[in-house]
This record gives sequence, C-alpha cells and structure tokens, in this order.
Amino acid sequence: MSLSAWLELLASGLITGGVYALVAIGLNLQYGLMRILNISHGEFLMLGAFATWWAQAQLGISPLVMLPVSFLLLMGVGLVVHRLCFRRLAATSPNVDVFEARSLMIGFGLMFFVQNFALLLWGGDLRGYDYLTDPVVIGGAQFSGNRLLVFGCALLFSLALIALLRFTLLGKGVRALMQSPTGAQLVGIDTRRLHPLMFGIGLGLSGVAGCLLSMTYAITPSMGEPYTVTALIVITLGGFGSMTGSLLGGLLLGVVEALGMHFMSPSLKMLLSYGVFIAVLLTRPNGLFKR
Amino acid sequence: MTDRGLLGRDVLVLLALTGWGLALPHYASEFVVSLGLTCLMYVTLSTSWSLFCGSTRYLSLATSAFFGLGAYASALGLERQLPWASVIVIGAAIAVGVAIVMGAAVLHLRGTYFAVLTFGMTELIRHALAYFEKQVSGTVGRVLTTVPEGATVYLTVLALAVLALATSIVVRRSRFGLAMSGIGADEQRAQTLGVNTRLVKLAGFAITAGFAGAAGAAMAVRWTYIDPQTVFNPFIGFQTVLIALIGGAATLWGPLIAAIVFSLLAETLRLQLPQLYMMALGLLLILSVLYLPGGLASLRWQTVTGWWRGAGARLARGALAWRVRGAGRG
Repeated sequence: MSLSAWLELLASGLITGGVYALVAIGLNLQYGLMRILNISHGEFLMLGAFATWWAQAQLGISPLVMLPVSFLLLMGVGLVVHRLCFRRLAATSPNVDVFEARSLMIGFGLMFFVQNFALLLWGGDLRGYDYLTDPVVIGGAQFSGNRLLVFGCALLFSLALIALLRFTLLGKGVRALMQSPTGAQLVGIDTRRLHPLMFGIGLGLSGVAGCLLSMTYAITPSMGEPYTVTALIVITLGGFGSMTGSLLGGLLLGVVEALGMHFMSPSLKMLLSYGVFIAVLLTRPNGLFKR
Repeated sequence: MTDRGLLGRDVLVLLALTGWGLALPHYASEFVVSLGLTCLMYVTLSTSWSLFCGSTRYLSLATSAFFGLGAYASALGLERQLPWASVIVIGAAIAVGVAIVMGAAVLHLRGTYFAVLTFGMTELIRHALAYFEKQVSGTVGRVLTTVPEGATVYLTVLALAVLALATSIVVRRSRFGLAMSGIGADEQRAQTLGVNTRLVKLAGFAITAGFAGAAGAAMAVRWTYIDPQTVFNPFIGFQTVLIALIGGAATLWGPLIAAIVFSLLAETLRLQLPQLYMMALGLLLILSVLYLPGGLASLRWQTVTGWWRGAGARLARGALAWRVRGAGRG
C-alpha cells in the first residue's frame, strides 16, 4: 500500500472516530455524573440529524447554522426529559444501584418512544442532502470537504467540553460531583441545578453529532442504535467518567474499525467492535487508560 | 395467608390456567389460538427470566441470545429429521451450555456492567452466527421444511409455560430460591452466611437460559424461515424484560398478568399501528418504572390513593406558593 492510501485509511478512521468520541462524551457525561446509562442517547442523535435535514430541505437553512441550533434544541429536550423522568426517579430510588437499574429501563422506554415517534413522523426511508461534497487534497490523499468539516467540528466540540470541565468553576463543580456527590453537596454545589444542565449538555452534544452525521451519511429513524452501542464501547474503552479517555477511545475505535474493515471484511465491523468491547470489559473493566 | 395456604392457592391457580390452556384450541378460532401461543411464549420467557433476574436483581439482557440459539438448534435438528421432543431438549441444552460459559465470564460483575455485557454478548453471538452462515454455510437463513403440526407446537409451548411457572413455585420455596433472594438483598451478606453465590448464580442463570432456549426451539417452526436477524431480535429480549418488570419481577403471577396484557395489546395494535404500539410500550415502561417500581402485581388500592394524595399535595403546594407570591407583590 502506498503512503497516501495509508494516510487516507487512517484519516477515514479518525473521521468516524471523531463522531464516536463526540457521542461517547455526551453519554459519559450522563453516566459519569448521574449514573444514568442513557441507552436512548443515539435516538437523540437521530433527532438532531432529522432536525438538520428538515431545516435544510424545507427551509433551506445551511447545516452549519443548524449546528448550534440542534445543540440548543436537544439541550432543551434534555432538560424536559430530566425534569419529567430522572428527577422523580432520583428522589424515589433508595440507593444508587437501584437508580442505575431503573434509569437503564427508562432509557429503553425512551428509545422505543423516540425511535417510533420519528418513524411515525418521517417514515422509514433513507434521507439525505448534498453539502460540501467537493474533494479536498491534502498531502496526496483525497477527502470530501464535508468529512473534514465533520471531523473538525466533532473535535472542536469535544475539546470545548473537556476545556469547560477542566478550566471553569462550573467544570470544577461537575468534577467534584463525579468524585464525591456527598462531599460536593456539603461544600455548596447545587446538584439540582447541575444535573439537569449536564444531562442537557450531554443530549445537546449528541444532537450536534447527529447534525454532523447528516452532512455525510443518509439518515433513517433507526440510525441511532448503532451509535449508542459504539458510544458504550468507547466509554468502556476510555473508562467511565473520563472525558479525555472517551476522546482517545473514540478515535482509537474509529481507526481499529477502519483497519479491520480494510484488511478483513466489511461484514466483520460489528463483530470486531463487540469483540473489542467484551475483551476490554472482561480484562480491564476500569478502562484502557486507567493507571 | 400462611405459606402452605399460598402454596395451595398457587398450585390451584396453575392447574386452572393449565386446564383453560388445554381447552382453548378446541373451541377458539385460529387467531385466538395463535394469540395464545404468543402469550404462552412470553409467559415462559418472562417467568423464567424473573425466576433468576427478579430475585437476584441481576439484569440479564441475554434472553434473545438463548432464544435464538434454541431456534437455530431447532432448525438444524429438524433438517436432520430428529424427533420433536429431542429437538426441544437439544435447544435447551445448547442454551444452558452457552449460559454456563457466559455466566462464568460475567456473573462476577454487577449492575449496569452485567446488563451491558450480556447485551453485548448477545449481539456478538448474533453477528458471529450471521458471519458464519454467510462465509461457511453460504446461506443467509434457513427454511424449515418438515414442521410439526400447529397443535403439537401449541401443546409444547403450553407445557413449557406450565413447567416454568411450576419451577418458579418450587424454587421460591426451596433453599436455592432463598439463596437467590439473599443475593438480591445483599450479596456479601449471603456469602458470609455460607451461600456459594457463584454456583447459585450460575445455576439460576442456566435455568433461565434453558427455558429461553426451549421456547426458541419450539417457536422457530412458527416462522418457517429463520435468519439471525429475526431469531436473535433484541426486541424479544427487551420485551421479556419489560413484561417481567411491568408485571413485577419479584412476584410469581406478575409476569403472567403482564404477558397476557401485552400479547393482547400487541396483537390488536401492532398490525394496524406498529409505531403507535411501540410508543405506547416505551411510555408504559417509563411510567411503570416511575410510578410502580414493584410492578403491576404490587398495585393495591393504597397505591392509587397514594398517587391521588401526592397529586393533591402538589396542587396544594402550588396554590400556596401562588398565594404567597401574590401576597408578596400586593
């Protein structure tokens, strides 16, 4: 294989990996902070994708404008979902274990609900639009412009969230809550404000990921589920609660998938991801990068 | 009621239901019988699921793996002209074997880890089988040509459902059942009190798997054409969990009640409005987790009055806040 072919292969892995990382960071925020393993996370990605497609097809709004719009839209949805489901659940569950199991079930309920709502509204057809499809040549390798944009935006949003958590007072509060919920509350961090906000931000990130995906791939109401599974794999790879781990894990999984698909067979893709997932979970349940 | 009284009641109800199930094909229409078959399948699956998962609180999402393995065993067995009874037994045995291997690997993990891992393993088995069929056998699915009569299938699934309920009745009163609820309440304490938790969990998981495998083997012939996507459909597993949870996973009759309600709902809504059915299912699951965490079987008159009082109190608080705010302004 020539150098440019290698470059193209690695880059295509990194591009998919970037989206994986973005979805996984949103999910990790919800799980790491609140112990909500939101299995319906990918469905909200699908909503973001459909919102972008709809705005583009019906109103002619550029997908780039829809990027922040879908973030805010899904964040709003997240706040409502948290208010309606998880607040009551947190108040009525006797302990964290029970809360975790019940929130998993709520996630399944949301998944059925949202996915079939979209099916009812938009039907099961593949949809898509063309955006920035001209090829761009970098160092002898060719990429379409939209894929580069997707990678750039995914990386930007992921890094922005990591910076938010690392450098701001708000982020300090969130990290404190992750380390010790009781201790954080003792020093005056308001759980009732931070939890809905972070749940909303998590869903907002999946909305952004959906918006980005709709630029490059055709979308259907059932597109969310594989991304949820991939996000689960990524956060196990990177460790529950570690955002940097999720970013690295996402990029790594993207590259592994791209290489595996190239050298073995495309039908092995899911087999490969599940194999990696189970192997990591069984051997290193705290994540690959945990010291 | 005393324990003996409860036992008598359970056995009587089981006998009455069995009699009704036996009589059903003789007077009801074909549609009703097929509805009954679906219903019995879910009774088997969710009763055996809650036998292990309800008492130990290990949330297994691997039901569709065992179901699918049973269905594949059945398809391969019928191709080789094996007798019907042995096909069912082989299906159950394969599921038990896989459950023991899987259980040995994952049963030391608790909570979400266990749920997610069982789900991942189900998908792994499905994808591996699809890959194997495509690469080695050169097929996508299998056509079942020699199929037993509909009445035989119905009676087999009825027998499985009755067996699952009977096992549940017996296990609840045995040392083994007590050990499982002990694990559910506090695993470390159970271990300290001398329960071999590893063995108990493995045995419970294997029993669940055996029933799911047998149900899969029996139900496979209903499709006449099977491929990994249909028989390993994660939806079968989800719906089993859902039925058990909505009915009340810790109870004996809860899953049965929920299975009947769901099969009726499924057959009436699913054909005309499949999306609406699934949406209703999702909403029901959320509502039952939020407002009825013990399941339908825990529903008592006090629960309803409790909601009523809670809503009343919330309304009163709202009115009070409103008046206080008004007073502040005025």
